[in-house]
Amino acid sequence: MEHEQKENMQQPKILSLDDDFSLIKRFIDGEELVFNELLKRHKEKIRNIIYLTLSNTDGVDDIAQEVFITVYRHLKSFRFESQFTTWLYRITINKCKDHLRKKNIRSIFLPLRDEEPVFESINEDTDIKHIVRNAISTLPDKLRIPLVLKDLDGFSYQEIADTMECEIGTVKSRIFRARESLKKILRPLEKELML
Amino acid sequence: MKKNNTDIELLSAYIDGELSPAEKKYIEEKIKSSLELQKELSDLKKLKELTSSSVNRISESPFFETRLFANLNAESQSKFNIKKWIPISSLTVITLALMAVLKFNPNLLDDLIKQQKSNLVGFYKENLQPLLYAANLTNEDIFNFAVYQELPLDKTNNQILKLGYDPKGSEFFEIKKANQINGADNLQKFVTALDFDENEIKNIDSIIGSYSEQISALVLVNNQNAVAINPNIWNTRKIILADILAFAEKHASSNFNKMIPTQKMQFDDHSIAKWVNEAKTIKDNQYIFCTSDSIFKEDYVFDMTEYEKNMEKMTEDLAELSEQKAVLREYHFKIDSSNNKQKKNSGWTNQFEVFVDSDIIKVSVQSIAIDIPEIDLPNFDSIAIIIHEATQNIKSVRPPSSPMTVGNKSYNYEYNNVTPKNKRKSEVNLDSLMQIKNMQNDKNRTQQKDRIKSETRENSIQFFYNDSLILMQNQELKKEMDKLRKELQRFREDFKEPQNENNDTIKKDSSDDVEIIEI
Repeated sequence: MEHEQKENMQQPKILSLDDDFSLIKRFIDGEELVFNELLKRHKEKIRNIIYLTLSNTDGVDDIAQEVFITVYRHLKSFRFESQFTTWLYRITINKCKDHLRKKNIRSIFLPLRDEEPVFESINEDTDIKHIVRNAISTLPDKLRIPLVLKDLDGFSYQEIADTMECEIGTVKSRIFRARESLKKILRPLEKELML
Repeated sequence: MKKNNTDIELLSAYIDGELSPAEKKYIEEKIKSSLELQKELSDLKKLKELTSSSVNRISESPFFETRLFANLNAESQSKFNIKKWIPISSLTVITLALMAVLKFNPNLLDDLIKQQKSNLVGFYKENLQPLLYAANLTNEDIFNFAVYQELPLDKTNNQILKLGYDPKGSEFFEIKKANQINGADNLQKFVTALDFDENEIKNIDSIIGSYSEQISALVLVNNQNAVAINPNIWNTRKIILADILAFAEKHASSNFNKMIPTQKMQFDDHSIAKWVNEAKTIKDNQYIFCTSDSIFKEDYVFDMTEYEKNMEKMTEDLAELSEQKAVLREYHFKIDSSNNKQKKNSGWTNQFEVFVDSDIIKVSVQSIAIDIPEIDLPNFDSIAIIIHEATQNIKSVRPPSSPMTVGNKSYNYEYNNVTPKNKRKSEVNLDSLMQIKNMQNDKNRTQQKDRIKSETRENSIQFFYNDSLILMQNQELKKEMDKLRKELQRFREDFKEPQNENNDTIKKDSSDDVEIIEI
């Protein structure tokens, strides 16, 4: 009786863990149209992760297209060892990292521009959210991405570790360092921000 | 400080809800006892609120799926697109096939090039004809060729074949444009200077003429603007010259020695025959082809006998054509020197050295010439000046005017012959053998010309007597003369009658009217 109860408890648990699995299985079995369902389910999340990771809208859709093309291409070799989203977010973060790396390389060859002030002087119309987003965008990638995934996308430390393929302690440390850096950046505006 | 940072790091994880129960219990106790950590916790919470609330979601992309599936379709098509591999694969196949062919038949390319060469050579070897027929070589031309080493190829364009020595002493021939082709009377000057009689002139003409066929076979032309020259032409030229000079020495030794005083070479039939034989031993079926795009050496056998047969037939055809007023083809040699910098053919440059420029082709013959000594000749133009001066001193002798007989009685009308006012006494320098002979030779020349023109003269005489107009004029002249005679008789009778009465008056009148009448 207890055994039956355990089975009854586990089965719905597996299904609830990742309903994406059933869609992926159907896709592997040849029902390729279900990819459209996976796309609808995760498209906006992926686009926003890219947007928050890059801190701007340039190239968001291009990177998102690349992400889903990669997923489509390799979905049949998915091994069900982790959640689909973890795999999906890892692909996304890697694509973002590639994009940022290429951008940094291109910037070496671009002519120098006058550095735009990160923070504008606060006035009545100044958007605090905008200031904070600008402050986040100045963080290094390895600090910014875990912070964004945690505070903006609501990822757990474990999910961030899985996505970024690093230890959970590293995530904890990087998020702490990101917050410390952010505090230093925003300190001049401490009173306005009521920190 | 490090310990403090560790606590703050725990605080950061604490507000994220990521601490283990033990860590959570630990940090909560710490917070209770530390105002600093309480303030830090408060700041971290505010910061987390700020960062979490700063999320600005990106707007939806309505065409995202459409674009994605379009990309996926394009990718799947391109994945199986064989077309893009077709050029590469075909090139690879061709390369491999070529490699295989060349491996089993390595001489293929050489054979192809040789075949193309032979095709080109065959093209230029077609329909070659002797120059003599094309350029109408005269004895004068052959004489100039022997003496001045120039053979006219194209008289219209002053194009000549010139033989000579380069500074190194090796023999060459060249095709070039001459400013002026040598004068047309060098042979005549030569004959005049040597004082040949009629038979000797015939002989020298026949000697020179006998070589025309040989020269004609040495220079061949065709309508592809190709000129094929046998290098043996150099030896032939020497033999002709030696033959001419030997004849001259034999038949006019004194004049010949005057003309060529320094000539030490003794020409005899034996040495000439020897040279002729030596020249024949040279391989004479090798020709140097000068074409509009290349110069090459090639074996070519020219059958003069067969050609003559063809020529006889062609002459008949030409006669028919001339009746039809057809225009005969003219030969012009056009030499294109645009490829003059092309690589020399090292295979035969040991024997020949070819130089091509805009208006000249020069071929140096180094090893083919036989050893015939070169003969120094005087400039025949200088002899011509002597002849000219001599003839100036000789009075031209004219036959006396024959009396005109009219009717039965003979009346001699003495006309005042128009004689040159500057009558000069004949001054002939008898010591000058040359001058006297020149005069005689002038006469001979006239006779020769008369002989040459005999045929045409017959025609003209026939023409003269058959001309009815002239006959009519003669008859009218006779009538007029009869009238005149009658008038004169009447005048004489009238003159006799009044002579006794008014002799003085009539004399006076007649002196006014008639100037001179001698009967």
